[in-house]
Amino acid sequence: MASVNGKDSSATLAFMELAIQQAKLAMESLEVPVGCVIVEDGKVVASGRNRTTETRNATRHAEMEAIDVLLEQLQKLGLSEAEVAEKFSGFDFYVTCEPCIMCAMALSILGIREVYYGCANDKFGGCGSILSIHSSGSEHLSSDDTSKGKGFKCTGGIMASEAISLLRSFYEQGNPNGLHANV
Amino acid sequence: MMNNKWEIIHIPDKPPVPPNQQPTADVFASVIEPKLANTIVRRLNQIAPLENLRHVKRVRKNCIDGGKNQISIILCVALKGENWLEGTPDGILELINAYQLSPFIAKVAKYAALSKEEWEEQCKLWPTSYHPPTYNIDGITGFSEDDSQSIFNFMKVAIELTSSNPFNQIVNAAVIVDPSVRQVIASAYDQTCYEHPSVNNTSGTRFSCQPEICTALQSDANRVEMNEQSILNRIDQCPLSYSGVSCLYPWQWKEKHQYAGKNYAWHPLRHAALVAIENAAARDRHLFPGLGNSGLSIQVDHMQSSSIINPAKRQKIPSEVAEDMTLKACTDGFHSEAVRPYLCTGFDIYLVWEPCAMCAMALVHQRIRRIFYAFPNPNAGALGSVYRLQGEKSLNHHYAVFRILLPEEVFGKKFI
Repeated sequence: MASVNGKDSSATLAFMELAIQQAKLAMESLEVPVGCVIVEDGKVVASGRNRTTETRNATRHAEMEAIDVLLEQLQKLGLSEAEVAEKFSGFDFYVTCEPCIMCAMALSILGIREVYYGCANDKFGGCGSILSIHSSGSEHLSSDDTSKGKGFKCTGGIMASEAISLLRSFYEQGNPNGLHANV
Repeated sequence: MMNNKWEIIHIPDKPPVPPNQQPTADVFASVIEPKLANTIVRRLNQIAPLENLRHVKRVRKNCIDGGKNQISIILCVALKGENWLEGTPDGILELINAYQLSPFIAKVAKYAALSKEEWEEQCKLWPTSYHPPTYNIDGITGFSEDDSQSIFNFMKVAIELTSSNPFNQIVNAAVIVDPSVRQVIASAYDQTCYEHPSVNNTSGTRFSCQPEICTALQSDANRVEMNEQSILNRIDQCPLSYSGVSCLYPWQWKEKHQYAGKNYAWHPLRHAALVAIENAAARDRHLFPGLGNSGLSIQVDHMQSSSIINPAKRQKIPSEVAEDMTLKACTDGFHSEAVRPYLCTGFDIYLVWEPCAMCAMALVHQRIRRIFYAFPNPNAGALGSVYRLQGEKSLNHHYAVFRILLPEEVFGKKFI
């Protein structure tokens, strides 16, 4: 159960609930259930879910899917790199699981504002579990040095039990197709 | 100094430490009568074995004035901040009293030496034993002449790609290779900025319309035999600025305006390695179309800590088994087709610049076997420069990393 404290405001929980919905969509498609929504000014502007099996590309995590949707939208609007960068600096990401090192670096490159995540990722986490990509550039905040990232804020543990129970039910059924369930 | 030959250097899991700056541990030692050495060593091995310092020799022999030998012996490990009498095994105190020993603190090397140079430095503190590695992991203790030549040729393919983008800028390039047949599986250069594919393009094809895929689908043997001079010419014609190398300047996409007005698209995350993985995945889907969702899920990389998943259940499908099962499913159903690898298992990647953390982690996810790169990336490199992913033990896959030193004639001084 999500605890009742500051970080678990009703808006935060509502966005995480949408990320969980994305994770459930992944599960229905026999993908590892991880989902993500991107929020700007209290509105969801893009969402994505894990698509690694379908694409046979193990980098197609929920965050990357949502980012691609959003970048395409913004370019169709004719925004320049600088304008898009400005927008990204106001985007918050809601992910059911701590971004891996790859996704954390992607978020650093894009220069987002904040990540809210559900459960920690003890094997690949790039927001504190294994590496702290999100804070690695923060000492450059004061300078205009764009040769380094400026870091982003991370808040974990939001609806973690929901995220975990999805993952657990995915893995507990073994292979989703049931072909090798008892290997 | 001019480097005028190709060379392959292994980039280890741990940062190299100068031999004279190896970590040390404190021990209590004492000078003893030589004739007592055997008795005392036998006793010490019973009451205070050097559990975590097995590489350290118990006895030191010094030559002192007059050519006489002085024998010193390690009594036990000295725990930091601890009173000498407290925590020392009773047997040690008995020994000290029985033989009237005068213990002193000595420094010894904390870890076993990994090289002869380290061992020689260690022995200046206190003698240790050194066992040169006897394992022979392919490619870590040496490449055959034939393999080396093949590796250099693939790096040349990558180098040629660095200047083949439409903006006449030097960018990073990636070539994924199946070393068992020495064939290019996929290749790409940075596409943080790229020519607009087509106005009516739908989102579903945004990654499959790149020319690299066509290249990837053919045997690339002819390109390996390319003219080295052509590289030089291209490089000479290019502005010699590396600001276009995405992994070197991952955060600088925000400032790019130089192509304003041209019909181009951009994507801050389309670094060469990611595009190459994309192309390899597209090749996989093209060559093995029937296996889509009926194959095994690519699930290992999302596994959480054992606190989430029952360990017994988790162990049912470790990655190795998953690979075997995928291969089996593949060969069972498609006898006429070549064996389909699990992601990029067994494949190598050639990168001109050391990848950033995003690309290096992507290569973990995609199960690349070995990474070869030519130039280090002090800004953002994740294979030794800023991070060292090959040494992160918690990751579920580990590749071996090598740097290839290029001869001057390939890139010229300006590139180094």
